[in-house]
Amino acid sequence: MGYIDEKVVPKREERLKACNAFGGKACQLIEGSRGGCLVNKNRSFSQTCNCQMGLALAMVLTIPEAVTIMHGPIGCGSSSHNMDSYFRPGQSIRGGKPKALLWVSTNLEEQDIIGGGESKLEEAIIKADQNHRPAAIIVVSSCAPGIIGDDIDELTSRLQKRISARIIPIHCEGFKTKISATAYDAVYHGIARSLELELKSEAPGGLVSNGLDQVKKEYIKSKTVNVLNVFSMGRTDELEIERLLKALGLEVNFYPNFAHPDKFRFLIEAALNISVCPTHDDYFVEILKERYGIPYVLNNMPIGIRNTEDWLLDIAKELNLESEAKTLIEKEKKELEVELELYRSILKGKRVLVSGGEIRVAVTAMLLQELGCEVVGIRAYHYDQFGDDIYLKAVSGNPDLEINVATTQVFELVNMLKKVKPDLFVGHSGSNVWAAKLGIPALPLFSQPQNYVGYRGVFEVAKRAARIIKNTAFQRTFSENVTLPFKEDWYGKSPFTYITEK
Amino acid sequence: MNKPSGVNAFMPYIERPRFSCALGGALSTLNSLPGVVPVIHASAGCGGNVFASQQAGSAYYGAGYCGGLAVPSSNVSENEIVFGGEDRLREQIANTLDVVEGQLYVVITGCMTEIIGDDTTGIARGFRNQGKPVLAVDTGGFKGNSYRGYDLVLERLFSEQVQKANEKAPDVINLWGAVPGQDPFFRGDLAELKRLLGLLGMKANTFFSYDETLENLNQAGSSVGNIVISRTYGVEAARTFEQVHQTPFIAVDIPIGPAATAEFLRKAADFAGINASVVEKIIADEQRDYYRYIERIADVYADLDLQHYGVVVGNASYSYSITRFLAEDLGWLPELVVITDCLGETHKEELKVHFGEIKYIKTPKVVFETDSSEIQKHLAEHWPLFSEKRYFHSFSPAFVFGSALERDLAAAIGAKHLTVSFPASNRAVLNRGYAGFKGGLHLIEDILDVLVAGR
Repeated sequence: MGYIDEKVVPKREERLKACNAFGGKACQLIEGSRGGCLVNKNRSFSQTCNCQMGLALAMVLTIPEAVTIMHGPIGCGSSSHNMDSYFRPGQSIRGGKPKALLWVSTNLEEQDIIGGGESKLEEAIIKADQNHRPAAIIVVSSCAPGIIGDDIDELTSRLQKRISARIIPIHCEGFKTKISATAYDAVYHGIARSLELELKSEAPGGLVSNGLDQVKKEYIKSKTVNVLNVFSMGRTDELEIERLLKALGLEVNFYPNFAHPDKFRFLIEAALNISVCPTHDDYFVEILKERYGIPYVLNNMPIGIRNTEDWLLDIAKELNLESEAKTLIEKEKKELEVELELYRSILKGKRVLVSGGEIRVAVTAMLLQELGCEVVGIRAYHYDQFGDDIYLKAVSGNPDLEINVATTQVFELVNMLKKVKPDLFVGHSGSNVWAAKLGIPALPLFSQPQNYVGYRGVFEVAKRAARIIKNTAFQRTFSENVTLPFKEDWYGKSPFTYITEK
Repeated sequence: MNKPSGVNAFMPYIERPRFSCALGGALSTLNSLPGVVPVIHASAGCGGNVFASQQAGSAYYGAGYCGGLAVPSSNVSENEIVFGGEDRLREQIANTLDVVEGQLYVVITGCMTEIIGDDTTGIARGFRNQGKPVLAVDTGGFKGNSYRGYDLVLERLFSEQVQKANEKAPDVINLWGAVPGQDPFFRGDLAELKRLLGLLGMKANTFFSYDETLENLNQAGSSVGNIVISRTYGVEAARTFEQVHQTPFIAVDIPIGPAATAEFLRKAADFAGINASVVEKIIADEQRDYYRYIERIADVYADLDLQHYGVVVGNASYSYSITRFLAEDLGWLPELVVITDCLGETHKEELKVHFGEIKYIKTPKVVFETDSSEIQKHLAEHWPLFSEKRYFHSFSPAFVFGSALERDLAAAIGAKHLTVSFPASNRAVLNRGYAGFKGGLHLIEDILDVLVAGR
């Protein structure tokens, strides 16, 4: 690929022809994606959303024993106050001692914009190392240093010689890409360039002392897999993944979220890299395949009955465990079906609109269909080639389903909700309140303490959805007492009025 | 005088800053004003990032009318940064006027659009000349922190939105200084002070209260005076107001509890030329109610000996007011006060002197520290925390008033803890406030909730 030798990863608009503005039928979306003609779309009216820095922080702020330095003006990364309450329980549920999330701002000010911010960054790295003795110092670079020309790579590699922590520079200047998922590539890029991903060769007479040990080691490796976890799945979901893969006789290691910086040295002691979200991991699994020859699976997300099955079979195929997997799947499905009966009767025919991450919304839509719901619209934060097959599956039988590609864009969301009036909204955080203002109850698209993944996830989602629609008095009375900020004639227009070709 | 809310020059390392940037403060401020719609001219993530900061920081003070992820934003990216973002901004403002209902639209800028030199003010003026209610404020994040953003927005509103009044209304007063999105209790505090000024016969504009509209701001020029309930924030804006409208102001502390509130009311009455006997009657009535409640809680308070040593951590305004309440009303012993703002040296000295005026206690140690991890060191320097000795003059019983971050400090020194400052991620605050007589009762209630929680 060659990207790994560059300081900065290309943006996804270029690398994957990803887009963040579309409104229309599902079949048009997939056709447009395959023809590569979505990428030029824009908006002439837009609302604030997130940037790649926000998504990068969601990943790196889970790394234990690290200090993250926000290299930028004082506000960049101040969202991290929101992450403390995720980081603490995240550590304790994984058996660690819950420690406070540590992050620092280099506080770039007017004179630094003129004079450059490198000296402040240098001082911050040294102080962070001295004050906290972390295992890693993660330097997250925001818009301003990107434009004033700070060379954080040169600085960090020079400083590395006298700093005990591993320094990981991450380029995630928000303005550089409209596809905030570029963040995943940026973080993996930083990890792959800065952390040791293999245990350096052992000294003679080291751990592997005889042939039997060697065979043992190879055997363990053949039964060990890496699962690449994501911010939106918590430990509860990891446990379900682990349960299913253990049933196939596999040992599971999770990377990169909540993985100690030193743990990455064992990353290559695995037979397979498993993605739980194709749009999250393609860049990294490809690096690991190129460098170390580790195969990967990257087609699907284990959410919903069918997709969990497909995901498991993908893995089993790589590891020659197909018959075991089929037996497991049959047993799991049988057990689940009985338990779903009650919820299916409650959820049958309920109209749902799903909004959030590209792949997650499609597989969640399928899950809801499996529960008997009618999916009346899908909104994706962005869209690229990884969506094509999954969206085809999700809309099979209904190729005219309305799809909106938008990184939140509340005005388009509210317009759609007003028109389709779903019984339930399943949305990304930050958007659910807008459904509530219309009297529509929301099931969060993700919530780390909850289970969404695997067979148990299907049950848990069904159980929660059925509970949520039992009493919607809050949403109803709320909607009667708030005013939406949009003009009345906006609702008479197409929600996609402000999407332009540029 | 130093810019009170500006960030100090060359502070290269701020650990877990308890504020966001000027854009963040401007945004929280505008989103809290009735009828006002902010329009961000910045990268796509700026608004989302500072909103997340406000959520956890300010006790889940959510999106409101057109905040959160609904804020119109030009979302400039590489193309605009290279070729300029002015066309995009014009398009965004025009379409905002079409889509979003508002009485006033205020464009606020992020770092990037300021660095590339977009003439935001000129563009806003263009719309205004066509009769559109559009203003602009330069709030690039590198200009300072949230508190600075609050001042920048108020300065612009006071000079360009508040109408010039030919006559002053003797019974109208403006009151501000509690910062939306930073002070978790700003709504409750403004409401209580507005109520108390109402008892004095004054109509108070706070601009942010739910019973006010944009008209209260538009007509604010007719007030006889301005009261800023902070010695640090909103003071610059008061100077601007004075220059433009010739309205005098006083900067006082947010009054918490009977002692401070009585003083506040006397000052306010004096400022507004209200008869002293009127004030004394009101103070007596309020104090009577306050102590009828205290009378009932006094049993448990006395039986359990609930007096504590105190550590207070927070911004310049609230730290002082909490400390004074502990000392002068509750009879506690605040020993260490940590002010987590970046302030100029002169202002730091002024504040230190002011802490010396608190009655009944030895003046607590006042430090200015932006790094949370350092706070315990300051305490240990002031009062040895650990010893093997059987007879040890320990810092106990102790109570930490701070942010959610101070839970670690409290746990480390075996103290109780209540969140009263940003980030307040472990509390949800609606109309609760600590200002005034009612606020004093709320604070005692919250303190005792912590102390009796295990019973």
